[in-house]
Amino acid sequence: MVLNNILIGTVGYQLLRNHSVGPILLPQLNAKTWNGKVTIEEMNWGPIAIVQYFQTLEIPFDRVIFLVALERPERKIGDISVYQWIGQLPDEKQIQACVGDAATGVISIENLLVIGEFFKIWPKEVFLVDVEPGAEQAGEHLTPEVKAKVPEILRILEELTHDGEILRKTKKLQGDTLFEA
Amino acid sequence: MCFKNLPIAFDEEGNAYLKEGLADPYEHKVVDLGEEQEVLKGLLERNGFIRNVDYDPVTRVAGALAFHSVVDLEKKKVLSTNSMATLFRGYEVILKGRDPRDAAYISSRACGVCGGVHATTAALAIEMALNIKPPPLGIVMRNILLAIEYMYDHPLHLFLLAGPDYSEELVRETNPELIDLAAETKAKNKDVHGYDTVLDIMKDLNPLKGKLYLEALTMTRVAREAYVLIGGKYPHPQSVVPGGLSVTVTASMLNEVYSRLIKFFDYSQKVTGIWDDIFDFFLESNPEYAKCGIRPATMMDTGVWDRPDHYDATFENCDKWGEARWSTPGVLVDGEVVTTKLTELNAGMEEFVEHSYYEKWDGHRFKEDPNGMPLSPNHPWNKETIPKPGKQSWKDRYSWDTAPTWDRMPMEAGAYTRMYLTAKAQKAPDSKFLENTGTSMKIKIPKHTLPEKTLEWKIPEHWNAFERNRARAYCIPYSAMVAMENWLMAMDLIKNGETKVSVPYEIPKKGTHIGFGAWGAGRGFLTHHLVIENGLIENYQIITPSTLNAAPRTPWGEMGPYEEAVLNTPILEKFDKPEDYKGIDILRAIRSFDPCMPCTTHIMAKDSDHIVTREVTTCACGIE
Repeated sequence: MVLNNILIGTVGYQLLRNHSVGPILLPQLNAKTWNGKVTIEEMNWGPIAIVQYFQTLEIPFDRVIFLVALERPERKIGDISVYQWIGQLPDEKQIQACVGDAATGVISIENLLVIGEFFKIWPKEVFLVDVEPGAEQAGEHLTPEVKAKVPEILRILEELTHDGEILRKTKKLQGDTLFEA
Repeated sequence: MCFKNLPIAFDEEGNAYLKEGLADPYEHKVVDLGEEQEVLKGLLERNGFIRNVDYDPVTRVAGALAFHSVVDLEKKKVLSTNSMATLFRGYEVILKGRDPRDAAYISSRACGVCGGVHATTAALAIEMALNIKPPPLGIVMRNILLAIEYMYDHPLHLFLLAGPDYSEELVRETNPELIDLAAETKAKNKDVHGYDTVLDIMKDLNPLKGKLYLEALTMTRVAREAYVLIGGKYPHPQSVVPGGLSVTVTASMLNEVYSRLIKFFDYSQKVTGIWDDIFDFFLESNPEYAKCGIRPATMMDTGVWDRPDHYDATFENCDKWGEARWSTPGVLVDGEVVTTKLTELNAGMEEFVEHSYYEKWDGHRFKEDPNGMPLSPNHPWNKETIPKPGKQSWKDRYSWDTAPTWDRMPMEAGAYTRMYLTAKAQKAPDSKFLENTGTSMKIKIPKHTLPEKTLEWKIPEHWNAFERNRARAYCIPYSAMVAMENWLMAMDLIKNGETKVSVPYEIPKKGTHIGFGAWGAGRGFLTHHLVIENGLIENYQIITPSTLNAAPRTPWGEMGPYEEAVLNTPILEKFDKPEDYKGIDILRAIRSFDPCMPCTTHIMAKDSDHIVTREVTTCACGIE
């Protein structure tokens, strides 16, 4: 099944090698031909602004997919996990802390998900394609481990834009810490 | 004569010279902070009610600020304070050796809110170094862009960051005795904001759900929409360049800007009414609140918003074009204006690193400014950034922030300083919308849905947390009316066919060129000092408002502004047991400065292996 309106967003600081997997792959995502209506957006411009952008959409997105890099225990550099964010919220103090960070320029997928959820902008289906980056390093390029996984990352994103097999393998993710549910 | 502590004197014609007969004119005392720490250690050991209270991180501020205090919970008094910037800012290091044209784009990234002012300040530094004068429309549009940036920043501070400290939820938790009183207290400005009682306002200040909180989010959007019309994008504008702006300005674009700007007319009346009601309530309900965050009004500001008929970018004329700005540059010492000249503001600046994680640099390359005024070896044109991570110790080094001073005094900075100086100095030229009386600033707000009104911000008797925030609220109409005045000028320029927004320039491949950019951030004072050597940046030094406010002790032991303000803060919070103590009074004091640590501190990329390091422990446990 091809969905009508899908957003693939990249989130992450630039120039941090694997931690910048989203920004680094953005040109490739833009150049790719997608099946159906797929919008590619760099989503580093602030969760509050993104909330306001979603609120003005005439046709809401059916599915939102984020490409991010997050350090998780017991993964090797380049390991890819696909999560569906199920949207539970932390307590209000934590949400307010997220807004405080967001309003002052912090780029973070956690903040974006929490703030988006609080303001009820997300569609039913929000997925994270989450690449293990290893320790933070400065630099413009991916390390060989992650570079080797680029075709797989693109394949997963492609699969998520239609109801591919991958949907049945996704793990659930919740709350502001983005640990598995 | 403006300098009391630096060895700079002036002859009869007003020319500055270095005082003679001093073996080391810039010598300064270094005090041992160990004695104070020993006394505190003894008190902590002997008294259960004297406690270390650490905030790490201080929340609802931008970035990494930690604050250590020793509090006597019985006498309800703060005994000692230390402000810690917990990450290194590497922009000075990153910019070294680069083409000066990179400075606006790279330094913009120093902050996620104030990108436009960093970019502009970088552009101004290059303009001064290379004598590049932007055309009138470029200057006017820059003024509008940056006024709009402030109109984004001020509501954000007032309602999202500082505002929750005065919300019903928080006051009920920390000072429940005020809730009934707030319910009985009629709001004086109901005609502009519609709230019947102070408690009604407090309820709508509640984070995430309160209408005022949510409205502020909407207003930040309005400002951002106007901003991107000129800047291309937010927070890091693409159109700010030395010599003006790289954007096409048309009447249609200006109308788009106006349709957003006009929304701030009513909002200005509402916001100032809201905060007047809230702060008057606190100060009237308990006069002790006047001591929250109190310190002398010893502050400095660069001034902002250049007049197109005055600004020529040169150092030679910077006193004239500086004083012609819509906001006057200068220095206040204990509420009195000691200078409004950019050359004196510049020459009085020094940065000290005795309690910071930096090595002291050698050398004194620039002994004088281009006009011959003496400069200290600690002046930003002479300073070098040499990071040296190390152990955290209250006796020795405890912050990545430096201790900047003016005439050897720690200085506060804020958007409010802009108003204070301008109102007090009465140097700003005539304006359609602004009148400076020496004791106040009158701001004429045109009619929108609310009738026309003249707002008046009065210089307060005591400089405290409440007055900082109140003045910040008045900075919204101040910024909006400067934007409006410049918008009218922009329309006139376009009508007259003066549509040029920038001038071409070249970076000379040879020679030494120095300049400094002076333009306030949303939070106040911002300077970029630049040395260009043979076409490349040889030295770049940024001093932000939070560099000033979050400063650690000076070498001679004077506290930085946060430290001093918190030390003077009485503990008015109600609590039964020490473990229930939340520290709201201290947090109100700190947040009134609108700390922005991303500007002050940043991640360090070591030259050797490019690994980003965060190797400083911010936990205050076990620190000497």
